[in-house]
Amino acid sequence: MKKPAFLAVALALSTLAATARAAGKLRVVATTPELVDITRRVGGERVSVDGMARGTEDIHQVVMRPSFVTKLNKADAVVFLGLNVEHSFLWGLLDVAANPRMRADFVKTCIGPACIDCSEGIAVLDKPASVSRSEGELHPQGNPHYNMSPDNGPAIARNIARGLSRISPEHKEEFERNLKAYLAELEPKAAELRKQAAALKGLKAVSYHKDMAYLGRFTGIDFIDTVELKPGVGPTPAHLTELVKKMKEQGVKLIAREQHFEPKTCEWLAAQTGARVAVLGVMANAFPDTETFIRFSEKNIKALLEAAGKDLP
Amino acid sequence: MRMALLILAALLPPLARAQEADRLKAIEERLNKLEGAPANASLSSFNPSLGVLLDVNYTHGKDDKGTFNFKTAELNIGAPIDPFLKGWAVINFNPAGVEVEEASLKTTSLPYNLTLTGGRLFASFGRLAHFHDDSLPVTKRPRSLENFVGGETQADGLEVQHLFPTPFYLTATLGAYNKLGGENGRADNAVARPLDHFTYLGRLATYADLGADHSLELGINSAWTPKRTMVEDVSVTGSPAPAISTVKGTWRTLSGVDLTYRYHPAQGGIYKGLVWATEVMQNNERRFDPGTRLPLDRVRAYAGLSAIEFKLGRQWRPGVLVDLTEDLDNPHTLTRTYTGFLSWWPSEFQRLRLSYSKATNNVPGSRENHSVALQWTGALGFHVHGFKDR
Repeated sequence: MKKPAFLAVALALSTLAATARAAGKLRVVATTPELVDITRRVGGERVSVDGMARGTEDIHQVVMRPSFVTKLNKADAVVFLGLNVEHSFLWGLLDVAANPRMRADFVKTCIGPACIDCSEGIAVLDKPASVSRSEGELHPQGNPHYNMSPDNGPAIARNIARGLSRISPEHKEEFERNLKAYLAELEPKAAELRKQAAALKGLKAVSYHKDMAYLGRFTGIDFIDTVELKPGVGPTPAHLTELVKKMKEQGVKLIAREQHFEPKTCEWLAAQTGARVAVLGVMANAFPDTETFIRFSEKNIKALLEAAGKDLP
Repeated sequence: MRMALLILAALLPPLARAQEADRLKAIEERLNKLEGAPANASLSSFNPSLGVLLDVNYTHGKDDKGTFNFKTAELNIGAPIDPFLKGWAVINFNPAGVEVEEASLKTTSLPYNLTLTGGRLFASFGRLAHFHDDSLPVTKRPRSLENFVGGETQADGLEVQHLFPTPFYLTATLGAYNKLGGENGRADNAVARPLDHFTYLGRLATYADLGADHSLELGINSAWTPKRTMVEDVSVTGSPAPAISTVKGTWRTLSGVDLTYRYHPAQGGIYKGLVWATEVMQNNERRFDPGTRLPLDRVRAYAGLSAIEFKLGRQWRPGVLVDLTEDLDNPHTLTRTYTGFLSWWPSEFQRLRLSYSKATNNVPGSRENHSVALQWTGALGFHVHGFKDR
């Protein structure tokens, strides 16, 4: 290789290596876009964050890209939702990432000092009485979709702050300052969304997948059933017939379709029952301009209100 | 009456406060009990992850005859051993008996991005070659893999992998084994051998994202066996002792390139898109007469496969696989196998697959071999998505 070309390559490689390590930044990988957002807010200038899920896919189905392996290998921390929701990609990636600070674990998904599990301290709903697969693809530790409720944002942010402070104690005060600033924005926003969602209280609805427990608790919507026959098992004609009957009997006029599921079944259900469909994201970035936790939460509440025929107060 | 009401009004707040304090104390006592409770788990209890895979099929083919096959009941056990090591075993129960398909130890905390795996493992050669039968996109293992690799890349030995500290994914794997290939009859795992009779593997693998929805993976590898000792079978040749022992010029290389293109649209996750995988292998070895075990010429033969699997959603996956395999002794004889398959996944843990295969070769007078298979697979217990099998 000629000398100028060699120098150019060497310079490029060393620049790449120096980018994230400049000014002692922690390299963090976060599994979902809203975790990327919250980590950036809490970590501030001290972190450089890479994401994995794009936001438009089902969290249970994120593609395992080898490019994630190199990011995890170099990472100082991995931030994840936990409760096994990332079982289809995070375990496999950690297993080959050769990062001794974050190892794949069959129970907790990630084990080691660099693992920041955002589910710690979350009041987990829908803990199954039985984990038999005859009930579908259950999450044995409970419903992991707590990120869909705005009032879990503060707990997520606190877990991230605690995790970053554990890994980088010299910046603990800065993380706590950032956390305080973020909570000062997030908590009033959550209260505002709760006020907006008050109009939804008591409404009955169905969702495509069983992931609305926390959003249901936040809004007061009673999600009575799912389009899926069982979690992870697609609808059968018999189940849909029963569901139509149930919706008519109970006056269900709201269908929450998670953005990544096909629209036809919910449209058919809506036509049969006179219900309206609210299309929701299960992660930030499911829709344009929803890359932050706050915007993701706002968009979902707005979609529910519109479908329920309620005006924004 | 007024006095009684005044006394009551004066006493109520302290009563309420006392009740509240009692309630708080009761909650505190319950919390202390919970926090102080001994753990339910014990280090002496055997708590690995456990899973069983059941695979059965019906095949109908040659001479218009069919058979139900119990292919396998595969028991998977895995657990961390300590902070530095994990282990797993795959025990295969099939019509031929019970076989330890894998039993390996793998490091989890080595420095310099190194990972060491040892024991009975599936060597890192190619892509489909190290897939278990149930993970293949087709019902029957492709001929190129059966003939050139010797089934799955099962090997007793040691592998070390290094993940390069580059911005892009790049790994190098070196391995040393008794032999490579579970059905490889060239060597016996139970027989000790000199160092130049082991099989040594080198592999490089890399990956590139081509935008958000497309990706390409490339692997290149070669398995080298420096020497092999073949002793003439005098009971067949009738030659007087000593039997001719051939070692010189018996080196073998099995080399390959594998290229995998994936399309994974934003909305589909792992259930939408397509996977197109192509692998080409070259086998270069001195062949031996199967009866007399006397040496024949050195032969270079080629084989390859190309498989495309469409992911139409959670349930349906159609695809085709084309396999071209030269005969190891006579590369002029080429067998072409065309397979079409349709898989239906009622859930992530159950699969039904229908496949049709047509095999032909260029030997004059040879017949086409048609077969239809219906495969049914179910997985019990522990379930994770592994990186190597994606």
